[in-house]
Amino acid sequence: MRCHYCEWRCELGVDHYGRCRMYYAEDGTVKERFPDRWSTYETVRIESTLFYHVKPGSQCLVIGTSSCNFSCNYCSNAFVAKQDPACQQDNMYQLSAQRLVTLARKLKCTSIVFDVNEPTVSLPSLQRLATQAHAAGITLGCLTNGYGTPEATELLASVFSFFNISLKGLDDEFHRRYIGIPTVKPILRNIEALAAQCHVEITTPVIQGLNDHELDEVVAFIAGIDREIPWHVLRLLPEDGMKGAVYPNIDKINRELEQARRVLPYLYFHNFVGSEWVNTLCPDCGAPVIERFSLGCGGDQLQQSKLDNGCCTQCHRWIKIYEADHGKQF
Amino acid sequence: MGNNSESDSSVAIIDARQWQNQFDLRTGAKSTETNEAILLLRRVLSEHPYPGDLDGGSNRWVTETALELVREYRPGFVLLTYAEQYFATRIASLSGAEKNRIMVELRREVDNFLEQTGMTPVIIGRGGVMPTQGFIDISGLDGIGVSPHWSARYGGVHEPSERDLAWLQSHPHIHRVVAKTAYQQLFAEPCPEPELLSDYLLVAEPGYAFKGLGCTMRKPAMVPLAAPELPCSSPQPVSDLTGLRQVIDNGLQQGRPMALIILEGVGKEDFPWPYSLCANTLDWFSYEPSDAQLLAITSGRHRLHEYPPGYLFHLRELKINRYPLSGYFKALPGGTIGDDYPGRSIAVGNKSMAMHMVAGADLCIECFSRNHYNQGSLGVVHRHNKIDHLAERI
Repeated sequence: MRCHYCEWRCELGVDHYGRCRMYYAEDGTVKERFPDRWSTYETVRIESTLFYHVKPGSQCLVIGTSSCNFSCNYCSNAFVAKQDPACQQDNMYQLSAQRLVTLARKLKCTSIVFDVNEPTVSLPSLQRLATQAHAAGITLGCLTNGYGTPEATELLASVFSFFNISLKGLDDEFHRRYIGIPTVKPILRNIEALAAQCHVEITTPVIQGLNDHELDEVVAFIAGIDREIPWHVLRLLPEDGMKGAVYPNIDKINRELEQARRVLPYLYFHNFVGSEWVNTLCPDCGAPVIERFSLGCGGDQLQQSKLDNGCCTQCHRWIKIYEADHGKQF
Repeated sequence: MGNNSESDSSVAIIDARQWQNQFDLRTGAKSTETNEAILLLRRVLSEHPYPGDLDGGSNRWVTETALELVREYRPGFVLLTYAEQYFATRIASLSGAEKNRIMVELRREVDNFLEQTGMTPVIIGRGGVMPTQGFIDISGLDGIGVSPHWSARYGGVHEPSERDLAWLQSHPHIHRVVAKTAYQQLFAEPCPEPELLSDYLLVAEPGYAFKGLGCTMRKPAMVPLAAPELPCSSPQPVSDLTGLRQVIDNGLQQGRPMALIILEGVGKEDFPWPYSLCANTLDWFSYEPSDAQLLAITSGRHRLHEYPPGYLFHLRELKINRYPLSGYFKALPGGTIGDDYPGRSIAVGNKSMAMHMVAGADLCIECFSRNHYNQGSLGVVHRHNKIDHLAERI
């Protein structure tokens, strides 16, 4: 039978695990090979995940599993995402959904964020986790490549309340050559679907000379959905197959983003230590309403939030921040 | 000798390759300050881009960057840390030949620095590494088992059940389970938030590493030995790693330029010079290559931990974030060599995010890597007023 979780729609069998190597089929059902197995669990502040507009300064439990359905040339987590998941099981943690939720509560986490690899490769475990977490008033968020099927995307929307979706560009040829998928179209479709019902932030890793010429088109796509979607432009430090590639020039990319800032008010340029473009500015008066310090590579910190009841203290404009919707039903 | 040295004027310079930015080290606010020391560091950082932890040439970068600063600043005291050999063994076991090659290169880099500067060296290996024998999974405890990512041999457990304690105490690879009251007595520095200390500190048998909350996803192929003794080459013998400070102070007082050279991941088996052994312990506790060990060396006293292993760092309630570039430090330690020495001092190293705090030197340059991802380098100017004296003298 065919897997229904991502657009590869792999043929699965008892010994056929699909592209991500995380599922098999038995008795007419798609099953997880490694249920409730996690590559990490760690408590951090939400800013060090890729969420700038989710309850600033809040504590979250970061989790991940193994493997991925993409094969990005520049993958920075290849040691988790590209290795055979069967070979990684000795290093994994066996933690039930209830146990993770108990840990999250003890550690004062208001959310659990899946941010190591791709959630569609572990959806049944995440559904179990969501049931327990929502009952405990804890929300779930994730980073995703957005390559789920429409039905899996609906499942994701029932599991997670907030998303950061990676949009690497709009060009199919780029996706074929550097990401290993035939087309970007499912990702665009899923961004629109998820943004209609959940909090969505979007991330675009910039690889100089490969996808930086598309930034204006990406801006237009995002603005066509909602100008207030936060957009994270990352200076990618190429790893894995592209290790050794030139580091993107910060000044050059920043100049290319100047026009975009007039279109998307919540535009951030980071993934390098000391970035000046990590503060949230009020879209109306330009006052900094949330200040952050960036250490790059997922080490961003909240310096201070100046919001007053969710509004700019200067002009009282409402700032788009996702707080929580505990107990989401599904 | 104070515990902390609150600096309102330290400036941090980030070099992210082809791009620099400048901040107040304490507050993280953007800084536009300009002085000769800042200009010097900006230029040296620009001319010496960090090659990366794992890409070869990292130790050469330390020597070349330090030599440049020595030429320009003429310090009386230099602190260097060399870590390439440690990085190389963290995630992969090396063949004997490969390890020998790295150690020969390390010696060449250190010798090159000493030959060109004529400084009197005090060299210490921070302790060797050994192949990981196994992991102690503490994720299944009823309490919260914490395994800080920089540590292997030490862990902590919060709110353990009776069942947890029985399991921990009978585990064949756990050497010691120490109650909070007992380890607090050993650790001299008071913790600002004692409620975040673990209820028990866990000590693994050599070669074993804890696996729990906070453990890095990249599992180490080699782990620090945390050996009770460290190899040391010094003009005067020392019995304890805290004794190195006095040796350096003596040399500086006699007007001799002194270089404290700290070698990561080097134990007595690999130390490439004649050595004596000095204690790396306080009572039952052996230092891993942690910030606490560096502080013991540079301040000459055991000031083990405000935040011992098992501390829940991320639950700290910080009304205002301080020292955002300085890892877990939220105050600048006082009483370090650079802090107390009235002459000019520099520090250069490829162990990131802490050296500028533990050395206290006037000018510091260190790599800025996170989980071995090369972000560039960091320069810190703690004191800029001595460079004018240099200009006058020249």
